[in-house]
Amino acid sequence: MTGYAIVLESARLERLQAVGNIAAIAAASEVPVDIFATMGGLEAFDNERMASMDYEVGEVGRAMLAAEDVDMPMFFESIAQAKEIGPLHVYACELSMDMLGKSLDDYHEVFDDVLGVSGFLTHAQDKQVIFV
Amino acid sequence: MTESITPDVTIDSRGATCPGPLMDLIGKVKKADPGTVVELMTTDTSSSHDVPEWVAKAGHETLDVVEHEDEGYWSVFIETTK
Repeated sequence: MTGYAIVLESARLERLQAVGNIAAIAAASEVPVDIFATMGGLEAFDNERMASMDYEVGEVGRAMLAAEDVDMPMFFESIAQAKEIGPLHVYACELSMDMLGKSLDDYHEVFDDVLGVSGFLTHAQDKQVIFV
Repeated sequence: MTESITPDVTIDSRGATCPGPLMDLIGKVKKADPGTVVELMTTDTSSSHDVPEWVAKAGHETLDVVEHEDEGYWSVFIETTK
Protein backbone atom coordinates (compact mmCIF):
# COMPACT_ATOMS: atom_id res chain seq x y z
CA MET A 1 0.00 0.00 0.00
CA THR A 2 1.46 3.33 -1.04
CA GLY A 3 -1.11 5.81 0.12
CA TYR A 4 -4.83 6.45 0.10
CA ALA A 5 -7.38 6.81 -2.68
CA ILE A 6 -10.42 8.56 -1.23
CA VAL A 7 -13.72 8.36 -3.08
CA LEU A 8 -15.60 11.39 -1.77
CA GLU A 9 -19.32 11.12 -2.46
CA SER A 10 -20.74 12.88 0.58
CA ALA A 11 -21.74 16.54 0.73
CA ARG A 12 -22.15 16.43 4.52
CA LEU A 13 -19.91 19.00 6.17
CA GLU A 14 -18.57 16.71 8.87
CA ARG A 15 -17.46 14.14 6.30
CA LEU A 16 -15.94 16.79 4.08
CA GLN A 17 -13.99 18.21 7.01
CA ALA A 18 -12.78 14.76 8.04
CA VAL A 19 -11.60 14.00 4.53
CA GLY A 20 -9.89 17.36 4.30
CA ASN A 21 -8.09 16.91 7.62
CA ILE A 22 -6.94 13.35 7.06
CA ALA A 23 -5.91 13.90 3.45
CA ALA A 24 -4.03 17.05 4.37
CA ILE A 25 -2.04 15.53 7.21
CA ALA A 26 -1.27 12.36 5.23
CA ALA A 27 -0.05 14.26 2.19
CA ALA A 28 1.93 16.72 4.27
CA SER A 29 3.61 13.65 5.83
CA GLU A 30 4.60 12.45 2.34
CA VAL A 31 1.88 9.77 2.16
CA PRO A 32 0.39 9.95 -1.36
CA VAL A 33 -3.32 10.78 -1.47
CA ASP A 34 -5.71 10.91 -4.41
CA ILE A 35 -9.22 12.28 -3.88
CA PHE A 36 -11.91 11.43 -6.41
CA ALA A 37 -14.82 13.82 -5.83
CA THR A 38 -18.01 12.41 -7.27
CA MET A 39 -21.77 13.03 -7.08
CA GLY A 40 -22.58 15.04 -3.92
CA GLY A 41 -18.92 15.14 -2.96
CA LEU A 42 -18.08 17.01 -6.15
CA GLU A 43 -20.90 19.48 -5.66
CA ALA A 44 -19.45 20.37 -2.27
CA PHE A 45 -16.68 22.12 -4.20
CA ASP A 46 -19.08 24.12 -6.38
CA ASN A 47 -18.14 27.80 -6.24
CA GLU A 48 -21.65 28.97 -5.43
CA ARG A 49 -22.11 26.24 -2.81
CA MET A 50 -18.89 27.25 -1.09
CA ALA A 51 -19.86 30.91 -1.14
CA SER A 52 -23.23 30.23 0.44
CA MET A 53 -21.92 27.53 2.81
CA ASP A 54 -25.03 25.55 1.92
CA TYR A 55 -24.01 22.20 3.37
CA GLU A 56 -25.85 19.36 5.03
CA VAL A 57 -24.76 19.55 8.67
CA GLY A 58 -25.18 17.59 11.86
CA GLU A 59 -24.46 18.53 15.45
CA VAL A 60 -20.71 18.89 15.04
CA GLY A 61 -21.07 20.73 11.76
CA ARG A 62 -23.40 23.28 13.35
CA ALA A 63 -20.90 23.80 16.15
CA MET A 64 -18.13 24.29 13.58
CA LEU A 65 -20.10 26.92 11.70
CA ALA A 66 -21.10 28.69 14.89
CA ALA A 67 -17.60 28.83 16.35
CA GLU A 68 -16.47 32.45 16.19
CA ASP A 69 -13.41 32.39 18.42
CA VAL A 70 -11.43 29.80 16.47
CA ASP A 71 -9.82 29.72 13.07
CA MET A 72 -11.16 26.52 11.53
CA PRO A 73 -9.87 25.77 8.04
CA MET A 74 -12.58 24.53 5.69
CA PHE A 75 -11.99 21.25 3.89
CA PHE A 76 -11.04 22.93 0.63
CA GLU A 77 -8.57 25.19 2.43
CA SER A 78 -6.86 22.23 4.16
CA ILE A 79 -6.64 20.39 0.86
CA ALA A 80 -5.27 23.41 -0.99
CA GLN A 81 -2.64 24.00 1.71
CA ALA A 82 -1.57 20.35 1.67
CA LYS A 83 -1.22 20.30 -2.12
CA GLU A 84 1.54 22.87 -1.76
CA ILE A 85 3.67 20.69 0.50
CA GLY A 86 2.82 17.04 -0.24
CA PRO A 87 1.68 14.44 -2.79
CA LEU A 88 -2.05 15.22 -2.90
CA HIS A 89 -4.07 15.18 -6.10
CA VAL A 90 -7.77 15.91 -6.50
CA TYR A 91 -9.88 14.72 -9.39
CA ALA A 92 -13.41 15.64 -10.44
CA CYS A 93 -15.83 12.98 -11.62
CA GLU A 94 -16.52 13.40 -15.32
CA LEU A 95 -19.94 11.72 -15.15
CA SER A 96 -21.18 14.07 -12.43
CA MET A 97 -20.00 17.11 -14.35
CA ASP A 98 -21.60 15.89 -17.58
CA MET A 99 -24.94 15.32 -15.86
CA LEU A 100 -24.96 18.91 -14.64
CA GLY A 101 -23.40 20.44 -17.73
CA LYS A 102 -20.54 21.90 -15.72
CA SER A 103 -16.83 22.46 -16.29
CA LEU A 104 -13.92 22.70 -13.86
CA ASP A 105 -14.39 26.46 -13.89
CA ASP A 106 -17.54 25.92 -11.83
CA TYR A 107 -15.54 24.40 -8.99
CA HIS A 108 -12.78 25.33 -6.55
CA GLU A 109 -9.35 25.55 -8.10
CA VAL A 110 -8.11 22.63 -6.00
CA PHE A 111 -8.81 20.14 -8.81
CA ASP A 112 -5.96 18.74 -10.84
CA ASP A 113 -8.01 17.12 -13.57
CA VAL A 114 -11.26 15.47 -14.61
CA LEU A 115 -11.38 11.68 -14.55
CA GLY A 116 -13.77 8.85 -15.32
CA VAL A 117 -14.05 5.82 -13.07
CA SER A 118 -11.48 3.81 -15.02
CA GLY A 119 -9.03 6.65 -14.86
CA PHE A 120 -9.41 6.97 -11.13
CA LEU A 121 -9.12 3.22 -10.58
CA THR A 122 -5.80 3.36 -12.41
CA HIS A 123 -4.61 5.99 -9.95
CA ALA A 124 -6.02 3.93 -7.06
CA GLN A 125 -4.62 0.53 -7.96
CA ASP A 126 -1.65 0.73 -5.57
CA LYS A 127 -3.51 2.57 -2.80
CA GLN A 128 -5.92 1.79 0.00
CA VAL A 129 -9.37 2.85 -1.19
CA ILE A 130 -11.57 4.73 1.28
CA PHE A 131 -15.20 5.52 0.42
CA VAL A 132 -16.77 8.51 2.13
CA MET B 1 14.38 22.51 31.59
CA THR B 2 11.72 24.38 29.66
CA GLU B 3 13.17 27.70 30.71
CA SER B 4 16.36 26.83 28.85
CA ILE B 5 14.75 26.07 25.48
CA THR B 6 15.30 28.93 23.09
CA PRO B 7 13.55 28.32 19.79
CA ASP B 8 15.09 29.28 16.47
CA VAL B 9 11.60 29.57 15.00
CA THR B 10 8.27 30.31 16.70
CA ILE B 11 4.97 29.49 15.05
CA ASP B 12 1.93 31.14 16.59
CA SER B 13 -1.06 28.96 15.68
CA ARG B 14 -3.19 30.01 18.63
CA GLY B 15 -6.85 30.14 17.70
CA ALA B 16 -6.50 27.61 14.88
CA THR B 17 -8.16 24.21 15.10
CA CYS B 18 -6.91 20.88 13.83
CA PRO B 19 -5.27 20.43 11.36
CA GLY B 20 -4.12 24.05 11.20
CA PRO B 21 -1.35 23.96 13.84
CA LEU B 22 0.15 20.73 12.52
CA MET B 23 -0.02 21.94 8.94
CA ASP B 24 1.73 25.15 9.99
CA LEU B 25 4.43 23.11 11.73
CA ILE B 26 4.96 20.72 8.84
CA GLY B 27 5.31 23.60 6.41
CA LYS B 28 8.11 25.11 8.54
CA VAL B 29 9.83 21.83 9.39
CA LYS B 30 10.13 20.84 5.75
CA LYS B 31 12.11 23.99 5.04
CA ALA B 32 14.20 23.93 8.22
CA ASP B 33 17.79 22.77 8.54
CA PRO B 34 18.58 19.81 10.82
CA GLY B 35 18.98 20.92 14.42
CA THR B 36 16.46 23.72 14.17
CA VAL B 37 14.44 24.17 17.36
CA VAL B 38 10.83 25.13 16.68
CA GLU B 39 8.20 26.31 19.15
CA LEU B 40 4.60 25.72 18.09
CA MET B 41 2.06 27.72 20.09
CA THR B 42 -1.43 26.22 20.02
CA THR B 43 -4.72 26.60 21.86
CA ASP B 44 -6.04 23.40 20.28
CA THR B 45 -6.14 20.56 22.81
CA SER B 46 -5.98 17.81 20.20
CA SER B 47 -2.94 19.40 18.57
CA SER B 48 -1.07 19.37 21.87
CA HIS B 49 -1.29 15.57 21.74
CA ASP B 50 -1.32 15.01 17.99
CA VAL B 51 1.71 17.11 17.10
CA PRO B 52 4.17 15.00 19.17
CA GLU B 53 2.70 11.90 17.46
CA TRP B 54 3.51 13.34 14.06
CA VAL B 55 6.93 14.53 15.19
CA ALA B 56 7.87 11.01 16.32
CA LYS B 57 6.52 9.42 13.15
CA ALA B 58 8.41 11.91 11.00
CA GLY B 59 11.65 11.10 12.84
CA HIS B 60 12.11 14.43 14.58
CA GLU B 61 12.30 15.00 18.34
CA THR B 62 9.82 16.55 20.75
CA LEU B 63 11.83 18.42 23.35
CA ASP B 64 8.96 19.43 25.61
CA VAL B 65 5.26 20.25 25.73
CA VAL B 66 4.53 23.12 28.09
CA GLU B 67 1.00 24.05 29.11
CA HIS B 68 0.46 27.73 29.86
CA GLU B 69 -2.68 27.25 31.92
CA ASP B 70 -3.31 30.89 32.72
CA GLU B 71 -3.06 31.92 29.09
CA GLY B 72 -4.83 28.86 27.72
CA TYR B 73 -2.30 27.52 25.27
CA TRP B 74 0.49 25.00 24.84
CA SER B 75 4.04 25.41 23.59
CA VAL B 76 5.31 22.34 21.76
CA PHE B 77 9.07 22.46 21.36
CA ILE B 78 10.60 20.23 18.72
CA GLU B 79 14.00 19.80 17.13
CA THR B 80 14.40 18.78 13.51
CA THR B 81 16.76 15.89 12.84
CA LYS B 82 16.89 15.86 9.05
